[in-house]
Amino acid sequence: MKTLKALSALLTYPSEELCAAVDEIRAALDAEGVLSPAARQALEPLLQELASEDLYDLQERYVLLFDRSRSLSLHLFEHVHGESRDRGQAMVDLKSVYEAGGFAIGGSELPDYVPLFLEYCSLQPEAEARLLLSEPAHVLSALGERLRKKGSNYAAVFEALVGLAAAAPSREAFEALVEEAEVDPNDLVALDKLWEDEEVRFGPGAAIADCGVDSLAAKIRQARRPAPGLDVPAAPRPRTVFTHASRS
Amino acid sequence: MSHFLDRLTFFNRVVGEFSDGHGITTNEDRRWEDGYRKRWQHDKIVRSTHGANCTGSCSWKIYVKGGIVTWETQQTDYPRTRPELPNHEPRGCARGASYSWYLYSANRVKYPLIRSRLLKLWREARTLMTPVAAWASIVENPEKRKAYTSRRGHGGFVRATWDEVNEIIAAANAYTVKTYGPDRVIGFSPIPAMSMVSYAAGARYLSLMGGVCMSFYDWYCDLPPSSPQTWGEQTDVPESADWYNAGFLILWGSNVPQTRTPDAHFYTEVRYRGAKSVVICPDYSEASKFADMWVSVKQGTDSALALAMGHVILREFHVDRQVPYFKDYVKRYTDMPMLVRLVKQDGRLVPDRFVRASDVPGQLGETNNPEWKTLAFDETTGELVAPLGSVGFRWGEKGKWNLEAKRSDGSPVDLRLSLENAADSFEEVAFPYFGNIEHDHFASSDHGSVLERRVPVRKLALNDGEALVATVYDLFLANYGIDRFGGPNVAKSYDEDVPYTPAWAEKITGVPRDQIITVAREFARNAEKTNGRSMVIIGAAMNHWYHVDMNYRGVINMLVMCGCVGQSGGGWSHYVGQEKLRPQSGWAPLAFALDWGRPPRQQNSTSFWYAHTDQWRYETLDVKEILSPTAPAGPWDGAIIDYNIRAERMGWLPSAPQLKENPLTIAKRAEAAGLEPKDYVAKALKSGELTLSCEDPDDPKNWPRNLFVWRSNLLGSSGKGHEYFLKHLLGTSHGVLGKDLGPEGKRKAKEVVWHDEAPQGKLDLLVTLDFRMSTTCVYSDIVLPTATWYEKDDLNTSDMHPFIHPLTAAVDPVWESRTDWEIYKGLAKAFSEVAPEVLGLEKDVVLTPIMHDTPAEIAQALDVKDWKKGEVEPIPGKTMPQVTVVERDYPNLYKRFTSLGPLMEKAGNGGKGMAWDTKHEVELLKALNGVVTEEGPTKGLAKIETAIDACETLLMLAPETNGEVAVKAWEALSKATGREHAHLALPKEDEKIRFRDVVSQPRKIISSPIWSGLESEKVCYNAGYTNVHELIPWRTLTGRQQLYQDHLWMRAFGEGFCVYRPPVDLKTVKPIQGKVPNGEKEVVLNFITPHQKWGIHSTYSDNLLMLTLNRGGPVVWISENDARKAGIADNDWIELYNVNGAIAARAVVSQRVKDGMCLMYHAQEKIVNTPGSEITRQRGGIHNSVTRAVLKPTHMIGGYAQQSYGFNYYGTVGCNRDEFVIVRKMTKVDWLERPFEERGRATGPALQAAE
Repeated sequence: MKTLKALSALLTYPSEELCAAVDEIRAALDAEGVLSPAARQALEPLLQELASEDLYDLQERYVLLFDRSRSLSLHLFEHVHGESRDRGQAMVDLKSVYEAGGFAIGGSELPDYVPLFLEYCSLQPEAEARLLLSEPAHVLSALGERLRKKGSNYAAVFEALVGLAAAAPSREAFEALVEEAEVDPNDLVALDKLWEDEEVRFGPGAAIADCGVDSLAAKIRQARRPAPGLDVPAAPRPRTVFTHASRS
Repeated sequence: MSHFLDRLTFFNRVVGEFSDGHGITTNEDRRWEDGYRKRWQHDKIVRSTHGANCTGSCSWKIYVKGGIVTWETQQTDYPRTRPELPNHEPRGCARGASYSWYLYSANRVKYPLIRSRLLKLWREARTLMTPVAAWASIVENPEKRKAYTSRRGHGGFVRATWDEVNEIIAAANAYTVKTYGPDRVIGFSPIPAMSMVSYAAGARYLSLMGGVCMSFYDWYCDLPPSSPQTWGEQTDVPESADWYNAGFLILWGSNVPQTRTPDAHFYTEVRYRGAKSVVICPDYSEASKFADMWVSVKQGTDSALALAMGHVILREFHVDRQVPYFKDYVKRYTDMPMLVRLVKQDGRLVPDRFVRASDVPGQLGETNNPEWKTLAFDETTGELVAPLGSVGFRWGEKGKWNLEAKRSDGSPVDLRLSLENAADSFEEVAFPYFGNIEHDHFASSDHGSVLERRVPVRKLALNDGEALVATVYDLFLANYGIDRFGGPNVAKSYDEDVPYTPAWAEKITGVPRDQIITVAREFARNAEKTNGRSMVIIGAAMNHWYHVDMNYRGVINMLVMCGCVGQSGGGWSHYVGQEKLRPQSGWAPLAFALDWGRPPRQQNSTSFWYAHTDQWRYETLDVKEILSPTAPAGPWDGAIIDYNIRAERMGWLPSAPQLKENPLTIAKRAEAAGLEPKDYVAKALKSGELTLSCEDPDDPKNWPRNLFVWRSNLLGSSGKGHEYFLKHLLGTSHGVLGKDLGPEGKRKAKEVVWHDEAPQGKLDLLVTLDFRMSTTCVYSDIVLPTATWYEKDDLNTSDMHPFIHPLTAAVDPVWESRTDWEIYKGLAKAFSEVAPEVLGLEKDVVLTPIMHDTPAEIAQALDVKDWKKGEVEPIPGKTMPQVTVVERDYPNLYKRFTSLGPLMEKAGNGGKGMAWDTKHEVELLKALNGVVTEEGPTKGLAKIETAIDACETLLMLAPETNGEVAVKAWEALSKATGREHAHLALPKEDEKIRFRDVVSQPRKIISSPIWSGLESEKVCYNAGYTNVHELIPWRTLTGRQQLYQDHLWMRAFGEGFCVYRPPVDLKTVKPIQGKVPNGEKEVVLNFITPHQKWGIHSTYSDNLLMLTLNRGGPVVWISENDARKAGIADNDWIELYNVNGAIAARAVVSQRVKDGMCLMYHAQEKIVNTPGSEITRQRGGIHNSVTRAVLKPTHMIGGYAQQSYGFNYYGTVGCNRDEFVIVRKMTKVDWLERPFEERGRATGPALQAAE
């Protein structure tokens, strides 16, 4: 899908080349038409910004948004694994997905860099690409939401991407990323609940109860909760985005 | 029925549960297990470490899969120790383990970043102009300059290419060198031991240019000046394994389990072995929990406690009963038998300087340096003798600088400790007392300011007439208030309220007297039974006070009177920010480019920042407040900066910049005047033709212009007086609340030029190298992305263990980052290309102070004479700084950077006063690294192209890692001592530690005379060991552990002997108290900043894993009682402020904290979860926002044996514990989430700096 390649380009560091290619990008989006007219319309402010504004301002804004703000990092696993050591394995897995598809990473970027991921998707058949996109859809959706709140025109790119995904992000995954951080730090009862430790039980039946999916997930979720008032998104329940190279 | 057919033959039924429900059977898809299998697969394991500036120095295994670092585990292959001694591992703590994800963190600096306004200006200028001209066109235009400098700290970064930023930096450097001088290019990087090649990279670049390397140890206030004062040694300490040899351990202001985590196991193990442990700490710290006895001392009064313990020890182990071991020890290894003149002053006798051989008719036959040889009485003959070992024997003669009990002619001496039985009379001698100074927050007593005590004295006929003398021993005991001969101000009983009895200390410190007596008694009794195995682990909590030396000398005295220093399991263990760079003398030539030119420019940071961030303009501490009531006559006028200026012009402290005139122009002027440069400088300084920069730090000609910061978070963690940095050095928005002394008419400075308008924004360019966007990066003009510790090759050592081990590149630097070595190499290249526009082969006139461990260190023996006042002629290296001409080859700087220069062959190498030949090592390096084949000035020299080449160079040159050099070094020392020492290294003469060796396993260093301990099969490394056991003198005036400091300035400021001095009043609270109300109650608390649990050592506090374990942002701990007074509940947002600035943080209300103090862990970044301050309207502030550096004149002394300058060795320290803050609840938390333009400046109330 050329559209994904175009969106990938829009998320790269603004350069003279990119700004000069705005018309080409617009044309490609229109020609392919996989994005709804509304979605394409939503991208217009960003396109116009890139085409008309001072390059230094564009670059400054980009650096501030994507290089400097942890919550807007363009590296997918920042939002999934944060500083957990699971991140290394997740990147290795994702890299092997690309390699299985016949592509090696050329530059100095990491496998989970969104524009790089999008470029890979753009090289896949449409159905496959949409399926791939739906894997990190909750992250993309959260990024779009955060950018929208900041009033950034980049939000439209993420909204477009979510629209292209085969499946909408699950409410649960999305909320874990966006809403959990918004517990009112003055609501002590809610805070207590959030921080409450799971009770440990012993005896018959405990194995199922304590090692059940819900219980484990709750424990992990609890372990990942940020401090109250900390303005970083909590990770969703741990979920490696791509675990197997063999997935098709 | 048989049920035969019902029975299954081949199957069991699948049952849901078994073992009474303890087990369950499932039949789910088990492919997920592959995840676990793959989880632990890896392609390779690489050895590296975390070069955080902690002393841990732990070796780690880094696992790499598919070119990506996947996880790391602790290495467990340290070389074994001896039987009975536990091994070192496991080393590495949870904080180190959580470090690794900085590698791929979103906080990583990925590309070279530059302020867009600067880049735009540069590109515009550069289209038509050459690089240096382009830079000139920007910085010489005030509007253009301000366009980017005023936006520091407010975002506006864009990416740039390496080529472009390198050219900009090179052009800025070249312009600065040409226009103002190379000494306006400054570099700050701390603690080289943690990644010594990365440090060396920048230092080498700067040193080849003639730029200035800034000290850190003193600035961090981790340097205990009492160590050089007492031992002539920066800091030397036992390795942590030696704790295991102790019988009695005091942890005094050191939080071992929290801040020395990988070593804490030795502390646990020795307690199992039966050692007793006392923890002295105001708060119930992690270490307090380990104590057999926890002594909760009032913060800042430790010296009172130490003096009272000393009082008990002296009374019970030296006077009432004399322990033979103690007596023998203090006689042989301390200055206690030495004689001190007593002089009449204001009708009272006061201790003056040591008597010298030159004072005596005939000089006791000493013709070499008689004024630097101290005297004592011989017990057997009663004769006056000049025992071997004093500094006079060190220089100008051979074979007599040792601690054998002999005099010059070889006849034996047995020095007399006390004149008790040989006195001509008993006289009252005056000692200063400061414990009566009133302070709002500290207890004082009502004893007089001068305490006279009775001392046995002898009359001596000296050259200038008859004089009274006493031994240090007798004076020392009198100073402690021990009643030996009756008279006033001494105590017979511990219950008398006389300084420094336990009863007196109880009032000052809040510690019950019986606790003081018990600890002292047990400490000394253990030392008596074990010949000195009592140890004190001492930490920053005691060291960061203005009167740090008193805290430390109080403890050192205890150790020395019990013979603990230099004995296994005993001594003084100060583990604060030092991190021993074990192969130091091999590393120094690489780092400071000593292979190309000597001497390098090195500056003591505290004085530098004090002057150049204009903190001196706000100084409220009056010299009168710290001057001794027994001060001898002298120039004790003016303000504190005046003392620093005097110290600089007398050659005591370094200067940067040095002269108002460009040092590249001096040699020509000298030539024109027909004089040698050094004679010209002396003459021109006297005539006023040349002026020292220090006399006018605010003149634009004297500003530092370019600043490099690497391996450091100067503005986020160590910048005392943070807001003054922002205001004056950077010229951006700041939170300084007070006015300077000008408008107040309170200027007291005499030597310094005052400008009514203080400069804002002295720096043209601030460049920071880092891998994360730290607070310093945020304020920089250019940020260069550097490699993390898993992406570079380097070396690492520590004072905590005797091993050297590497950092190695597990993966290549990610994104656009580069290693420090490659970055500075790249800069060197760019500089060489740009420089010829304005620079060629130049003669640089370098001023250096009178350096410790050089023959010049014996400069002014008996008095202090200032040439500026016409008291003496300016003589370079004697009464003023040393003057040397160093040739700079600017167009070939890169070539010089990448090869080992010819001076190593011609001039050799050395350290700490020893010198040896290095021809063989240079030959070996040529074979190992290869030689430069390219035509040019470096052809045929050994290459230093890569970081590994650099590692090999320093390993080859250092005695600690090359046995052959170690033997040469010991032989060099033998020449001075006349004793054979080489046996200490001979068994390892053939050992050469190479980079690949330490990659395969950490290696134990080889014993060398650079250090005072041995690393052998018999003993653990312990400081002072070779002094005691090899009879090598301490590098002090007396050659012994010097407990009496006789320099004029030491006496003037009342610190000849250790006394109790309460914290100083910095007057930062009252001028603002009640002036900026927000309706909440306020409480005034002492501001304490220890190292934390939830950051990675002192610098990295933005790690989410760690933050998540705490409150996720800046917190301040306060006691329940203080919280109640101020109506603060746990987790409230609170504000701390004084005239220096303000901090916003959350409150942690805890019983742990002592009333009257609050505790903010060091270096909590303002980039994480920090709102704006209500008062300054700037983001939060950091812990240094409420501090301001304040200097102490005694730390400026130079040219006086152990009190001579050395880089990171002696000098002013950046203390900050005496600070008080107002604490109150915030009413409105503003996250400042809007553009800078909409925020506006704070319009604070009119405030004053001074009361």
